[in-house]
Amino acid sequence: MSKLSRRDILKMGVGAEAGLGFPAIVRSQSKEIVILGLWDATGAFADVGPINDRGMRMALEERGMQVLGRPIKYITRDGATQAGTSTRRTEEAVDGEGAKFVIGPWSSGVALAVSEVAKRKKVLHLFSGGTEDISGSRCHRYSFQWAASPYTAAKTVVDSFMKANPRAKRWHLLVADYAFGWSVEKYIKEVGKTHGIEFVGADRHPLGEREFSNYVQKAAANKPDAVAMINFGGDAVAGAREIFNFGLTPKVPLIMCWSSGVEELVQLSPEIRQNIWVGSNFYYTADTPVAKEFVKNYTAKFGNPPGYAPSAAYSMTRLLLAGFDKAKSAEVQDVIKALEGIEVNDIVGRMRMDAATHQNIRPYFFMRCKSKDAMKHATDFADIIATGDAPLPKEYGACKDIGSF
Amino acid sequence: MLYALMGLGLSLVTGILNIPNFAHGALFAVGAYLLATVAVAIGNFWIALLVAPLGVALLGLAIEYAGIRRLYAAGHDYQLLFTFGLALILSESIILIWGPIGSSYLPPEILRGGADLGFTMYPKYRLFVMVAAGLLVFATWLFLEKTRYGAIMRAGIENKEMVSLLGIDIKLLFTVAFALGAYLAGIAGALTAPIRGLNPGMGPDMLGIAFVVVALGGLGNLLGAIAAGLIIGVAQALVAAYWTEASTVVIYAVMAVILLVRPQGLFGIR
Repeated sequence: MSKLSRRDILKMGVGAEAGLGFPAIVRSQSKEIVILGLWDATGAFADVGPINDRGMRMALEERGMQVLGRPIKYITRDGATQAGTSTRRTEEAVDGEGAKFVIGPWSSGVALAVSEVAKRKKVLHLFSGGTEDISGSRCHRYSFQWAASPYTAAKTVVDSFMKANPRAKRWHLLVADYAFGWSVEKYIKEVGKTHGIEFVGADRHPLGEREFSNYVQKAAANKPDAVAMINFGGDAVAGAREIFNFGLTPKVPLIMCWSSGVEELVQLSPEIRQNIWVGSNFYYTADTPVAKEFVKNYTAKFGNPPGYAPSAAYSMTRLLLAGFDKAKSAEVQDVIKALEGIEVNDIVGRMRMDAATHQNIRPYFFMRCKSKDAMKHATDFADIIATGDAPLPKEYGACKDIGSF
Repeated sequence: MLYALMGLGLSLVTGILNIPNFAHGALFAVGAYLLATVAVAIGNFWIALLVAPLGVALLGLAIEYAGIRRLYAAGHDYQLLFTFGLALILSESIILIWGPIGSSYLPPEILRGGADLGFTMYPKYRLFVMVAAGLLVFATWLFLEKTRYGAIMRAGIENKEMVSLLGIDIKLLFTVAFALGAYLAGIAGALTAPIRGLNPGMGPDMLGIAFVVVALGGLGNLLGAIAAGLIIGVAQALVAAYWTEASTVVIYAVMAVILLVRPQGLFGIR
């Protein structure tokens, strides 16, 4: 039997001190709440992921990375804007890291796949995007939709645009060919009927399209009174640029029905932005106390105002934390029950999470871009000219029974 | 015509070096960014259009001289890895210098808006690009087919050892070919900037199409690259007119069908 040296005794002493003297720390480490931010660092939305992360991180830091007196462990994974990668990495984070709360990703089509993982793994999933399926035909207890319903967006855009342009009755649509595009297109057409709008053309393009000349050529041939794009990010920027190159804008108004706002508008020169009308889930001049504070802090930190992407991540995280507060629990099912029907004042104004569908009932923004001369500073892109919060009428609702846990 | 221009440059480099140049797309993007930077700095699009591709050619020259040349003895695998790494370095450098967010650069005032062709409207700037790219392709073809150095370059593609044995400086030939390929990528990028804007991801987008053009035309076949570029462009435009959703996939469908019938490409012999 070997003798204990002085060093061994010292080591044991330190070990005992750590075990007995800091039990609170040891306990709290085991009680940390793991939240996953599933943001794309590669793929079609690679440019959006990092700014999603900024927004989410800001919301967590506001609370000192704690909730209910317990530390929050914020982890991120790159979903690569692909369903396979996103679901695999979500499962790995749930199984390997103990993540019970997932926010993201950014693509609707990918989010639908992640929503299925959330249901199977029984973890809470918050998402913002244009598909109506998460709060519609594929609704379940574990997933929540932060963005306005596609119906709310379509109603706000069409009603507000027609109020300003009552004679623009012939519309040509350019639609992104995936879940988000189909959902918004359906309601743009439905609401359009009530205004007597004739849809003279509707072309679908794949996600990540960069060559829009053929689509715009067809649109120009139809001689529309307005062109409405239902696409997002790089697709919307490429489309708007090509429509300008063809000489359609500024003569013919262009409506970006579901835009990221700042992130897209900053990529277009003022000449291209002329006569562009923009619908968005958030615009940084929103006149709410939470938005003002967030925009001030974000701009101070990053040098530019936030667009829809960081704002959605910020607000979703705040909503989740509000759920913890209301539930006074970090158990998934308790937080879900707390979020069902929750009402908060946040960056977009009054929000209410519909308990029956998990659809956020909230305002949607409609802007008109400013001319170069009217801009007061480099990011003074547009004025909010209307907001709308008409919820999806019951007859359109596809979430008949959200089910149980 | 832009596809033909990109394919021609890539085919030239591929033919001479016998490896695919993965950095060709990044050189295309550098051309676009240089055009916008120079044009904004001096306020003249036309001078920028002359200067930007020359800058990319110089960059190509430096890449060949300082990098690829040193790997000729090491074999194709190393050259291939080098161009792949170079593509990543150039893409990241674009982000570091010009930022991750895309931007727009407008065509010169005289070429803005659409021209009424009677049967359709078409952007004036795109018409200019068609003519300019067509002239560039023709000039490159004239150089390769009708000049002594062009003949040496073609001979270099066919049989490097023979050209070297005839006393021609093969290293210089490689350098000039790489710089010319870079110039063609650079001017394609510069011409594209007002159409597609500036985006750090624009290089990889175009690289895929350039590879299709080279594979379709036949590896290292310059005339084949021109023909394939035109075929791809026309096929895409025709399909888009009747079935817009298929306008991207048709590029790869045409390639697949032609390679099934002629695995060596339209004009390829190997």
